[in-house]
Amino acid sequence: MVEPQFLGRTGTAMDDLLNDFLAETAEILAEAGGAIVAWEADPTDRAQLDAIFRFVHTIKGSSGFLALPRVTALSHAAEDALDQVRRGNRPANAALVTGVLGILDRLGELCTTLGQKGVEPVGDDRGVIAALAVDDVADEPVIEVSGVPMRREDDLQAELQNWRSIRVPLPLLDSVMTGVTDIVLARNEFARMLRESGADLSVIASFDRLSDSIAGMRQSVSQMRMQRIDKLFAPLPRIVRDLAQDMRKKIAFQTSGGEVELDREMMENIRDPLIHIVRNAIDHGIESLEDRVAAGKDITATISVSARQSGNQIEIEVRDDGRGLSPDALVAKAIASRVATAADVRALTPKEKLELIFRPGFSTAAKVTAVSGRGVGMDIVKANVEKIGGIVELRNDEGRGLSILLRVPMTLTIISGLMVRAAGQYFAIPRGAVREILLESGDTVRIDQLGGGELATVRGEQFPLLRLENILGRERDADDDSDDRALVIVRPGQGQSYALSVAAIHDHEELVIKPAAPMIMSTGLYAGTTLPDNGRPVLLLDVQGLLAIAAIDASEAGRSHNRMAEADAAAAAARNAVQLLLFRDMNSRVRGVRLSVIERVEEVPATALFESAGRVQAQIGEDIFPVHAAALPGGEGTLKLLRLYDGHAVLCYPIAEVIDIVRLPDAVQPSAAPGLIAGVVLVGGDPVELIDPFWLMEQYAAGAPAPALRQPLCRVTDDRDGWGGNFLAPILRNAGYRVVLGDDASDEVPDVLLCCTEEGEILGAVSGEVPVIRLRTSIAATGPEDETVYRYDRQALLDALRRQVGGDRA
Amino acid sequence: MMEKLYLIARIADTRVALRSRAINSVVTVGVPVEVPAAPPHVAGLFALRSRVFTLIDPHVVIGLSAVPVAPGQRVIVVDVAEHGYALLADEIEDVCFIDAPETRVAGKLLPGWARVADAMIEHRGASLLVVDPSNFITLPALKAA
Repeated sequence: MVEPQFLGRTGTAMDDLLNDFLAETAEILAEAGGAIVAWEADPTDRAQLDAIFRFVHTIKGSSGFLALPRVTALSHAAEDALDQVRRGNRPANAALVTGVLGILDRLGELCTTLGQKGVEPVGDDRGVIAALAVDDVADEPVIEVSGVPMRREDDLQAELQNWRSIRVPLPLLDSVMTGVTDIVLARNEFARMLRESGADLSVIASFDRLSDSIAGMRQSVSQMRMQRIDKLFAPLPRIVRDLAQDMRKKIAFQTSGGEVELDREMMENIRDPLIHIVRNAIDHGIESLEDRVAAGKDITATISVSARQSGNQIEIEVRDDGRGLSPDALVAKAIASRVATAADVRALTPKEKLELIFRPGFSTAAKVTAVSGRGVGMDIVKANVEKIGGIVELRNDEGRGLSILLRVPMTLTIISGLMVRAAGQYFAIPRGAVREILLESGDTVRIDQLGGGELATVRGEQFPLLRLENILGRERDADDDSDDRALVIVRPGQGQSYALSVAAIHDHEELVIKPAAPMIMSTGLYAGTTLPDNGRPVLLLDVQGLLAIAAIDASEAGRSHNRMAEADAAAAAARNAVQLLLFRDMNSRVRGVRLSVIERVEEVPATALFESAGRVQAQIGEDIFPVHAAALPGGEGTLKLLRLYDGHAVLCYPIAEVIDIVRLPDAVQPSAAPGLIAGVVLVGGDPVELIDPFWLMEQYAAGAPAPALRQPLCRVTDDRDGWGGNFLAPILRNAGYRVVLGDDASDEVPDVLLCCTEEGEILGAVSGEVPVIRLRTSIAATGPEDETVYRYDRQALLDALRRQVGGDRA
Repeated sequence: MMEKLYLIARIADTRVALRSRAINSVVTVGVPVEVPAAPPHVAGLFALRSRVFTLIDPHVVIGLSAVPVAPGQRVIVVDVAEHGYALLADEIEDVCFIDAPETRVAGKLLPGWARVADAMIEHRGASLLVVDPSNFITLPALKAA
């Protein structure tokens, strides 16, 4: 569709041509970006390459007419490079892709200026074009406007099929639409009158011919305004690729449901909100690589955008597996940015807390980044979607991801509807929301009364049962045979379903849906009205609204035991598979270590590492851990440390960066001798050295006192001359004890008392429960019963402590 | 001149002059299609030349009880905010130009009428309430109903 910012001037025929060119180019650029990213992922994909080639070729062709030398030169250069690839003279590589993307960006800039000023600005594109020539061994003359090589015949054929289109003003299209809609309705009325009047067969036959061609025409017209939602998704892969690279995140991007059709105008209205939501997901939703490792997630984040038609609505879902939203953080943020007061937020439900992000002036980013700092917030997204009668829904799974759902209505559309009867009157249900139709009295259906509610069980699957008459507040029609009652299994949205009991099923028809009067729409039960062939208006049921009115939880989650168990088992199996953390070490070697031994990845300033007693140590917070490094890594900035944890001790292993998490391959080529490297595995065809955590821990476990979870408390008493504090306490601390000196107050009962005098009353002795070790100053013991320890006998002292405390301190 | 054109009708047992600007036509209806769970002044739906109209019962708007729609009853078709509505009329008298000025409503009306009536006008020796047809449809009080 037309990118408004490109369009400026109108008037002359030339301007019209230019506007058409700009609109077309905007469209092509958006699509080409996506195609190139897809091609980069799979350079052997010939179809993508051909498509990209055609994109630039089309731009070049059109720009030739309009005398836009810069555009022509740029597109020609890109076309040339791509053609070299097509002919096999040049490999497809990242440099080429980046070069082509650079050209597309420059083309976009030129077109924006063209739209504003009407003339091509003066400038130099040699840099951008030269970037294409990198890796180009053939040394082609890059700027060559004349002498375009001849294209093969099949190229031109494909172009004709793909790009022959004309542009039509929207109002004209609208009037054609409404005209055809009225023709269809008039035909229906006419058909009814013909039947009633008992017209003769020849009249009916010719009317049928007319009727058929009207049906065909309606089909074509409905396609005129509708567009596959693919178009909306086309620019997203490029956005994700660029942003992910900028922010050093690994993101797998998926789209699905691209075949869903949406009104073109509607599409324009959700383009910006959609892009904004995707940007947000990358910027705020997806954690950094290190955080993902720490959270035990796959290092490659997933963002998926899917579209589906759900009854009379189109649902577009943007789902990420990032950190989700934290209601508490949102509240704090809302108060800090003065969007709400503390008193306001106290009364909010968790759901309302999440919806704080829709308040104007709210931004979840701790700081404004280049991505989020563009002045568009979720409030604008919400306003834009609501403007077209849509809603924005949040489905938050804190720590596991967020999905944002845009629901937009399909009005003035033709849908296939199922006609049902209830309370003596007909209603339509969107065919797309109907999963199955059953007879209530059928063998496969069982209906249970449960505490005032009803439950339908169909072949073991359970559905909440709604009776249409009850929801509508009507009595059952006396003429309806209760044996004929039908169950319609309705699926109003993803993961929701229920059984709707109706008096009878009639048939299904193509229906032109028009909005009903506001007071009827506001009941929440109806999505519109339609006029079928019999000339009696019929209300289209809002299958989602019925649920809300009936106040029933129709979510399928947890309903079926078998499926739940299967899903759990699959998840467990995935968890049990041994995972390997791939990283690049300080010498740029790719190595791997079992993910399960990694406690977390720390990022510390380089100054946190220090050397002491011949060992490199790292200070992290209040603790000091040994680091596996021969020498202090120099340099400024920050360092990443893998924290290995064996249940008792922590060892830090410095790395350059985390690369990925993969499944540990079954085949490991073990090393000949035990050492740091346990063996070699092949990951994606490349050898990766596997770190042996056993060996590593062994090296550092001996001698180095590892901090335990709870360090025993030692109270030093009767320390008259300060020897205990100055000489003894450091040794104790070094051995893994916490030390309280005689005078220090402490509520905690010590595990052991160390008394610096050989005899006399022990100061500060709390009770007889606490073991006491007395220290003597003379080297020789007074006798065999002497249980005191010579105060400079380090080993005897530590042994005594260990015996008393009971713990096995190294 | 259009401002001076009024439709004189008996609506909800009261003779009124309806401003004709929004009035589309006067037609007869058959049996309307009910709208379950709709606000009480919605008497149903009916189709007219391939359009669906919402039938409004002014009795309910005024605060009286609803009257059943008789087949062949005449209704006043109006367009309000791009939606088609039809007002049930007890009787359609005439469409005529009234030269007299609209005057402020004097005297006390029933609350229902006080809500919808804009003014009064003299016509052939009788005072009529001047009502804009849209007042029967977009009553704030009824939105809550």
